[in-house]
Amino acid sequence: MIIEYHRPKTIEETISLLSREDPCTVVLGGGLYLNEKVKTQIAVVDIQSLGLDTIETKGNKHILGAGVKLQQLIDFDQLPSALISSVKHQETYNRRQAATLAGTAITADGRSPIPAVLLALDAELEIVGKNKQSEMIHLGDFLPFRENKLEGNLVIKIIIPSNTKTAYHYAARSPADRPIIAAAVSQWPSGRTRVVLAGYGDQPVMVLDGPDAGGAEIAARDAYSEAGDQWASAEYRADAAAVLVRRSLNQIAENN
Amino acid sequence: MMLNLELNINKETYQVSAYPGERLFTILRRLGFSSVKFGDEHGKSGSDTVLMDGKPVNSYLLLAAQAEGHEIETIEMMGEHPHQGWKETRGLHILQQEFVKTGAIQCGYCTPAQILAAKELLSREPDPTEEQVRDAISGVLCRCTGYKKPVEAVLRAAARLRGVEVPPIEDPIEVPPEWINSPFDDSIPQEKTVQSIDGTTLTAEKVITTLKVSTKPEDWQQVGKPKVKVDAVKLVQGKPAFVADFEHRDMLYAKVLFSPHAHALIKSIRTEKALEIPGVAAVLTHKDLPRVVYSTAGQSDPIPGPLDCFSLDNKVRFVGDRVAFVAAESEEIAERATKEIEVEYELLDPIFDSRDSMKPGAPVIHDEKEYVNFADSDPERNLAAEIRIDIGDLEQGFKDADHIFEAEYEVPKVQPAHIEPHAVVTYWDEDDRLVIRTSTQVPFHVRRMIAPVIGLPVKRIRVIKPRVGGAFGGKQELLIEDVAAHLTIATGRPVQFVYTREEEFIASRSRHPMRIRMKTGVKKDGTMTANEMYALSDTGANGAHALTVTGNTGHKAMALYVGSGPYRESPNIRFYADIVYTNTPPSGAYRGYGVPQGYWPLERHMEKIAHALNLDPLEFRMKNALRAGEIHPFSVAWSEGRDPVPEIIQTNGLEECVSRGKAAIGWEQKLSDKNWQDVPGTPYLKRGLGAALVMQGTAIPYLDMGGASLKLNDDGSFNLLIGATDLGTGSDTVLAQMAAEVLGVPLDDIIVYSSDTDFTPFDKGAYASSTTYISGAAVVDAANKVADSMRDRAVLILKSRAGEVDFNPDEIELSNSCAIAPNGQAVSLEEIALHSLHHANQEQIMAVGSFVSPVSPPPFAAQFAEVTVDVETGQVVVDRLVMAVDAGVIVNPVTASGQVEGGMTQALGYAVSEEMVYDELGVAREKDFRDYHIFEAHEMPVLETLFIETFEPSHPFGVKAVAEITMDGVAPAVGNAVFNACGVNVDQNPITPEKVWQELTGKK
Repeated sequence: MIIEYHRPKTIEETISLLSREDPCTVVLGGGLYLNEKVKTQIAVVDIQSLGLDTIETKGNKHILGAGVKLQQLIDFDQLPSALISSVKHQETYNRRQAATLAGTAITADGRSPIPAVLLALDAELEIVGKNKQSEMIHLGDFLPFRENKLEGNLVIKIIIPSNTKTAYHYAARSPADRPIIAAAVSQWPSGRTRVVLAGYGDQPVMVLDGPDAGGAEIAARDAYSEAGDQWASAEYRADAAAVLVRRSLNQIAENN
Repeated sequence: MMLNLELNINKETYQVSAYPGERLFTILRRLGFSSVKFGDEHGKSGSDTVLMDGKPVNSYLLLAAQAEGHEIETIEMMGEHPHQGWKETRGLHILQQEFVKTGAIQCGYCTPAQILAAKELLSREPDPTEEQVRDAISGVLCRCTGYKKPVEAVLRAAARLRGVEVPPIEDPIEVPPEWINSPFDDSIPQEKTVQSIDGTTLTAEKVITTLKVSTKPEDWQQVGKPKVKVDAVKLVQGKPAFVADFEHRDMLYAKVLFSPHAHALIKSIRTEKALEIPGVAAVLTHKDLPRVVYSTAGQSDPIPGPLDCFSLDNKVRFVGDRVAFVAAESEEIAERATKEIEVEYELLDPIFDSRDSMKPGAPVIHDEKEYVNFADSDPERNLAAEIRIDIGDLEQGFKDADHIFEAEYEVPKVQPAHIEPHAVVTYWDEDDRLVIRTSTQVPFHVRRMIAPVIGLPVKRIRVIKPRVGGAFGGKQELLIEDVAAHLTIATGRPVQFVYTREEEFIASRSRHPMRIRMKTGVKKDGTMTANEMYALSDTGANGAHALTVTGNTGHKAMALYVGSGPYRESPNIRFYADIVYTNTPPSGAYRGYGVPQGYWPLERHMEKIAHALNLDPLEFRMKNALRAGEIHPFSVAWSEGRDPVPEIIQTNGLEECVSRGKAAIGWEQKLSDKNWQDVPGTPYLKRGLGAALVMQGTAIPYLDMGGASLKLNDDGSFNLLIGATDLGTGSDTVLAQMAAEVLGVPLDDIIVYSSDTDFTPFDKGAYASSTTYISGAAVVDAANKVADSMRDRAVLILKSRAGEVDFNPDEIELSNSCAIAPNGQAVSLEEIALHSLHHANQEQIMAVGSFVSPVSPPPFAAQFAEVTVDVETGQVVVDRLVMAVDAGVIVNPVTASGQVEGGMTQALGYAVSEEMVYDELGVAREKDFRDYHIFEAHEMPVLETLFIETFEPSHPFGVKAVAEITMDGVAPAVGNAVFNACGVNVDQNPITPEKVWQELTGKK
């Protein structure tokens, strides 16, 4: 139950609110997740007035404000097409108007396409904490510890590279259904390759981050070798994961 | 702490107080913006859409506080009725106009949301592509339309807003010339004799309706025309037309405590803590209510099934079963109170697998002493119903065969998933009669069935059915009305109860899952000699619809193929079924009513046989299919628990359905092109085509009755009161079209009202594909009587005018709102009305009609599907669905094609994505629209509908049913197309990627 609502105008004020121990205070982005899930008594801090909804490109990086709405990613026509595909896959037009990028990344579950692609892009989060200092953290380091990392902290930016080739492929019961298995692959000009799988568990998993794509299919198959649940067997997911990783790599190679 | 908010809604400022966590949705509803609807808790349905700063957002997922400082827009500001007396109005917005014209509105529950989303699109893209339109409305689920017509409406509106002229909505159907002289097929025999299953000789007679329509088909002005739905203008404005839109002073809100256990006894239950919560008005448990056993199935008396339900019991039988009822000042308080009810359970062994239900020593789910058997039900064996039908000599048929084909199939539990949840409001009126305003398909059954449950006589209950936001069988049930009624009785106050989406999934009714075994005998030339089906049907924790749903599985599906040659006259068919209890949520009615479960195995099986014998799959089917002039084989054997009466099939357009459907999907050219199945550049994708033939029924003979009353008003308009329930199907409109045709008036001179048990005549309700046929004939009956009275009155007036003229009233033609004599003299209906009401020999010209049919004429259809299969991941994408359907005369091609498109879309989910799965404790996997995936606008295949019209002589306008047959063929056609694409047989739907992959890799 939400017992307080705040709409601060500065980061400092926001951090101050988030630093309170009582009541438990959390960030409100678009609100989709919180308004669905909240069961305990909390206070919320709405970040809509913080100016965190900008997108800019600097050097080899896209700097995406935490409050950027998912539809803004589509409307900004310079982002990787795989990221756009994942946005369209994950959320319908209505929800894209309200859902924020950071909120979507932070609340990822294993079947979330957008965080999978962000993880493949080795996205970095800029977080401001109680000491007012900002800290950079990779999404892959953040997700496993997200509850702790969010205590009293505010994600203000998500930074992704602009010089990668990225692909996203999935299998589902219908084109707009949540993926049973998905693969996101990014490759840097250096050949560095990151492979991420989704469709299972609590969060997407990174299965390869190497100087090249060598062993990617095997890594994918191994990573999901025990990924069985009510939605699909591990055997299927492992096999399909290898297929989708191969396709992603082929697509990247063709685009080169 | 309350927040004082300033909200800008529809260009006006509202000062509101809200809790910090209060949703924008709640505030808008409180302020009276009824166009904003609840569909689900996760923003997937989108019926809660509003525009915020011009962008569509889900108001249920936004805090009211988040909306402060933004401009909120609802459909209430978009347009209004174009004629409001002396006041000039701006009329409807062009988007609204096009939604009305194109038939984009069925139930109308999601319509305001779709229009708002479209408005935003057109504000940024005046000339959108279809893909852009589909993306723009992707956040609004529609379970009725299949999105085709809403997309068309947006594209047409966009064109008009750009100043581009759009063509009129054309009637694509021409009256077949053979009807003009004689609509009745003389080749059909007047009667046929046939042996019943007990060996006695029965006679089936050709049935030609005695109800006449004075005009000929070629002269029809209303029937067969794409008329605008009579409720469209109301729905397109988001008017307060649904149950939850109804407001009442001092209303309480109900919640139910649902069982967390699949099978348990309630050892103790304590409500003190719940009652202490401020704002809680009542908490009811099984100890508070009379113990009245009943069935929830909304069916005619006597209910053809066991009585095995209590409003509240001391035993729970599935996760989601009822434990206690709460009424409180708000939903939140009621919800909190349910959590404070202390319950001690004694857990019992559950049964989740229907194959375990009848095993010796299995737990007995219904051991209550009040259980009332029906037919062969046997609760000690967990048997809710048993069916044993033998037609002909099956064993001889198998002996005659050259080949025997046997296989097992499985169909899942699926949900109707209407976007408007179950909703009810109850209150005492000033005469101490209980009023039940409910979203139901069966208002009259609800009144009759709830009476003993709540301890009131029928005469002290009034059931009102307002607009219904989709139902599809899910509301053919006494599901939640008793909850609100008990709480109103307990508190004396109005009570509203609306299911959440999660409650819909765990505690409403779903399609029966079945395990089905097929055995078929076939000669080398493709002649079927015997056909056998056994169905193990899972009715869940209660037996509502257990017998009748599964009976229809055999009755409709196994009737289609009778065999060829001598087998055609004397087919050998067996249908056996056991319908068993399990500790899962009860199954029930869902569009198709058991028949889709029959066609999945039958049509997959037929495909396999054709392939094995190297026969053309469609020629093989047609060789053995039932034809006009033949006896419906099951009509001699079974009739929903009543005595069967043999029926002659009088119309059957199946052959032309196949021919036209093949042409539409490009069957011959695609399958003869060896490269067609390959997708250039993607070797892992393979295309395939598949087909399925299906038949359904039209109403239940000798049982389903509809009534209508028609009253002439001063201005020559008419009140048409019908008990029939329009669920969004357009039945109010097609019934009005029939009345208008008979009376010779425009459609808008027919004012339709349905349904209210105090005012409208009885109708059994909307199910069994019966409304257009049964209720339509009742309307014709009433209209004919009114027409006769008006003709008499016209003669009276003409005589008074012209002196000694002597007209035979039968010669008076009703046309253009006039009664016209053979000599051309005319009297307007307004003159007739004024004369009869005010001037001379005053009388109210009014009549009641009713109709029950001795036959259930089957519609027939050929369903085609085109798919692309990923042979590495197993993913199936359905690219195109074509349905060619013989549903008799199509009264309204726009509403009827909307039925087909929507039905095919629901069936598409049955084919590939929809199923309900339970874990080892009986907990549902699917509790929302994220996991239970129904198709969205931006992922739809191309949909095409072809009507192959026949004239069914048992009905005055020649109609048969169209609503349910649309559910039957898609899944098997898709399954057959997958086989065509990649050579694998998936025998269990939905056809998920893993199932295809298992077959492809041999890892099943």
